[in-house]
Amino acid sequence: MSKKRLSAVLSAAMVLGLMGAAAAPVNAMADDTEEITWMFWDDLEATEDLISKGYADVINRYNTEYEGKYHVTPITTNLEEYDGKLNALIAAGQAPDVFICNPGPNMDVYVNADVVMDLTDILTNQEADWYAGFTDGIFERMTYDGKIMAVPTNFAAACVYYNTEMFETAGVEVPATYDELIAACQKLQEAGYTPISCSAGTAWCLSMIAGYMCDRQGVDLAAIADHTANWTDENCIEAGTKLQELSQYFQPTAAGDSNDQATAAFYNGEAAMLVQGSWAIAQINGNNPDFESKCGVFQFPGIEGANDPNRMIVKTDNLLMSKTTQHQEAAIALMKMFTDETSQKYTAEVGGKFPIIKDLDVDYEAAPAQLKYVQDIMAKATGTFGFYNESLASVEAGDCFDNAMVDIFLGNQTPEEAFQAVQSFYEENVWTE
Amino acid sequence: MDKILRDKKAIFIFIAPALAMFVVILVIPIIQMFYYSLCDYAALTPPKFIGLANYKKLFTNDSTFRMALKNSIFFMIFSAITQQIVGLLLAVFLTNIPKGRNIFKNIYYLPCVLSSAALGLLWAFLFNPKIGINQLLAKIGIEGPLWLMESKGFIVLPMWVIAFVALWQYVGQNMMLYMAQITGISRDLYEASYVDGASKWKSFRYITLPLIKPMVVTSLSLNCIGSLKFFDLVYNMTQGGPNHRTDVLATELYAEGFNYFKYGYASAISVVLLVLCLVVTVVIKKAVKVETYEG
Amino acid sequence: MEKTKMIKNPKKKIGPAVTLIYLFLAVLAVIYLAPLLWMLCVSLKDNAGVMASPFSIPTTFQWQNYADAWSMGKLGIALINSVLVCGVTLVVSLLFGSMAAFAIARMKWKLSEAAHTFFLIGMMVPVHCILIPLFVRFAKMGLTNSRFGLMLPYITFSLPMTIFLLTSFFRSMPGELFEAAAIDGCGIYRCFFKIAFPLCRTGFFVSGLMTFVNNWNELLMAMVFISDPNKKTLPVTLTYFVGPYATNYVQMFAAIIIAIAPTVIVYSLFSNQIVEGLTTGAVKG
Repeated sequence: MSKKRLSAVLSAAMVLGLMGAAAAPVNAMADDTEEITWMFWDDLEATEDLISKGYADVINRYNTEYEGKYHVTPITTNLEEYDGKLNALIAAGQAPDVFICNPGPNMDVYVNADVVMDLTDILTNQEADWYAGFTDGIFERMTYDGKIMAVPTNFAAACVYYNTEMFETAGVEVPATYDELIAACQKLQEAGYTPISCSAGTAWCLSMIAGYMCDRQGVDLAAIADHTANWTDENCIEAGTKLQELSQYFQPTAAGDSNDQATAAFYNGEAAMLVQGSWAIAQINGNNPDFESKCGVFQFPGIEGANDPNRMIVKTDNLLMSKTTQHQEAAIALMKMFTDETSQKYTAEVGGKFPIIKDLDVDYEAAPAQLKYVQDIMAKATGTFGFYNESLASVEAGDCFDNAMVDIFLGNQTPEEAFQAVQSFYEENVWTE
Repeated sequence: MDKILRDKKAIFIFIAPALAMFVVILVIPIIQMFYYSLCDYAALTPPKFIGLANYKKLFTNDSTFRMALKNSIFFMIFSAITQQIVGLLLAVFLTNIPKGRNIFKNIYYLPCVLSSAALGLLWAFLFNPKIGINQLLAKIGIEGPLWLMESKGFIVLPMWVIAFVALWQYVGQNMMLYMAQITGISRDLYEASYVDGASKWKSFRYITLPLIKPMVVTSLSLNCIGSLKFFDLVYNMTQGGPNHRTDVLATELYAEGFNYFKYGYASAISVVLLVLCLVVTVVIKKAVKVETYEG
Repeated sequence: MEKTKMIKNPKKKIGPAVTLIYLFLAVLAVIYLAPLLWMLCVSLKDNAGVMASPFSIPTTFQWQNYADAWSMGKLGIALINSVLVCGVTLVVSLLFGSMAAFAIARMKWKLSEAAHTFFLIGMMVPVHCILIPLFVRFAKMGLTNSRFGLMLPYITFSLPMTIFLLTSFFRSMPGELFEAAAIDGCGIYRCFFKIAFPLCRTGFFVSGLMTFVNNWNELLMAMVFISDPNKKTLPVTLTYFVGPYATNYVQMFAAIIIAIAPTVIVYSLFSNQIVEGLTTGAVKG
């Protein structure tokens, strides 16, 4: 009879397993410690990224300082699958108490699904001192109908990095306008160098250049969002044409190179220029410390007779709090630690990204040399805008733009055709109401 | 005896675990998939019934899907043809050599048991212009193309490359199937045909081919369904790039479902995939008429 | 043609046709083995050496690559996870599969053919189709990040092939065996466990092998269901080298070697049995 029981037990166990496994509690701490979770897109132990290492420090500091009171456990994934895993947890009712998120449509998803805590009251009333310490205007992209839904931890700006040695050898000056940039590329190429290293395999890298081109040409995303302007307008097409012209100076393998490969080509001295966000500083110096001394930075050139050339692409990393958190105070304490002076100084001096709090005494001597250059450029900036793929109507719209730009680069579509594709996407999905 | 074998309770107990798993993990999800495919369903919002809108969009207004469908069908046809021919050829060769049959057979079969995720990475790097075979070609003065990055043509070069790698990896399967079938054919048949003065080609044409026909159904179905489901090599060699030119149905489904969380839309793609698999199986069964065969 | 004359006596002499065939087979064997050997070479160099001359034999062996890949890629834990998931899947699917197969093959009931067909249709269903519904449900149940959650679909998708193979094995057993046992007063469960089970060793070997190879290499489901780095299986762990280590070729290759080494070793030791076994499986399938 035991055989029979075995079979019965097996099938019952299986069904029970399916039904019951849901209720497995994770945070069974014996004492009164409030246990929270924080979700992040990099492995805190294995990472080489200096910003991630800084975050790991924050977590350690938090768990030491609040020992016996609060405790945070990080949930980490890799970047590619971060959104998927986060969604799965939220859908399962196991939303992490605090999680990191990109601005724009990515964050819209969570705000619109009503899973994010409104921080307005906490920031403006309960913790007014904390709120007052932030850089002015930094909350702009985190505010939805007047409600602040996130707290930033840092921001980065996109610039052009260049190899000073190659520029000297080729007799090239830092270009200030698009025409000068093309002339510089021409000269560098004649001198036997690959002028620009760019990744079209990682679409947003190419799209960053496209975003600058569009903005320099005066493309107004707000107007496009309202449908008072079109993707098929002349300034868009012109930006596409310029992108196409510039892309002739990319390395031959740009179509397939990943972001890492393209960046490596730059710091290994295989190309003269790289357009990247300032997070690349940590990557460049970390992988090739000798390169710091010959790495210069200039702002993306302007286009004469077009838009203001001093506008910069910037991007913040943001912390969101789950609406369902049971440990609001512990979560706020964690957010505060991410934005305190110690972590912000680390952000700038080691990580190479910009702090988001005012009156911080950053020692630029200690910081990577490039950060100072970026800082100087930022000081002149007259305005900022987001990554194009993070500034459009949806994650998909951003991808549609990215793909269109890659198609221009690959020569599969003319600028007219590519922007027509984005236009059609908007006509069908965005401008419908 | 008969009574024991008709024991209803025992039958139930024997069948129940497998049946329960099948129903819970396979049947119910498939029904759900059909329902989801008719819904507007994003990860964080509950499914909303929208009828056939997902399908309409798939077929009228989604160039990436069309590309993926085209690639999948190309891949299926390419695999079906090349794997059948090369597999059969190898089987015939191997059954006709006096020595070393096992060693060759084992070498050709090896990639079939290896992880295609790992082999995909390996080939991606062999085709990497900086360290791969282009360096070898350069030594003999040929400038190799950008194997995995070209984006021109009806079927782009990277897709051909992936198809050849798949042929390399999986042809051992067909070879083995045909070898098993050919070695099952009585030697006397061949001896008799040689005595009658038949050439090698003739005995192949009139003995081997007809007798391996039943195997064609099996191996062709395996090839076709296998290539429609294809995911690992593409994911690890190009991730669908450049710019979706090498996306296949499985990678497209993965992207829609787990990058954009369009569960409803991705479900519609899986319905297309399922229907394709079923249609192909039925067509092969119907097309290759098999006479009763004693194995 | 010269060839046709030779064929009359194919076994005695090695003619030009056979030489050509050997040549062709040898070239093909090189195409099969060279990439694997190349990978081994690269994994023992340093990155600069790879860039400088990717196809040379390494002069100094960088064993450190393996240690680094092992620790950075978390391959140890991935290996354990793979063994665990595939092992449990193997045992459970063989048990459930053989039980169902026995009932279908030897027991007498009206729906046995229908049940057989039902399980067979499962072979045609691509896993992609159940990915989303299953993910949604598992997420709600907290099963998305557990090895147990991964085993469930693995077992289910191993069942059709197992049932199919074992059914034909059970059917090929002589019926007298069971009759004799029944006369001795053997119950149906004893019949199954004491008679059918041991006699079916080849069947278990074949279907077990197919189950193991398929699940060992499975990527898509593992990628979707598991996010905790400590629960990932080997194929998923390998895809990580696509991103962050994309420029660190040597470590990636070391990781691939580590990942495929167990399979290659087992395969070279038992290649004849494995190839025969898998073919038997496929022929019957």
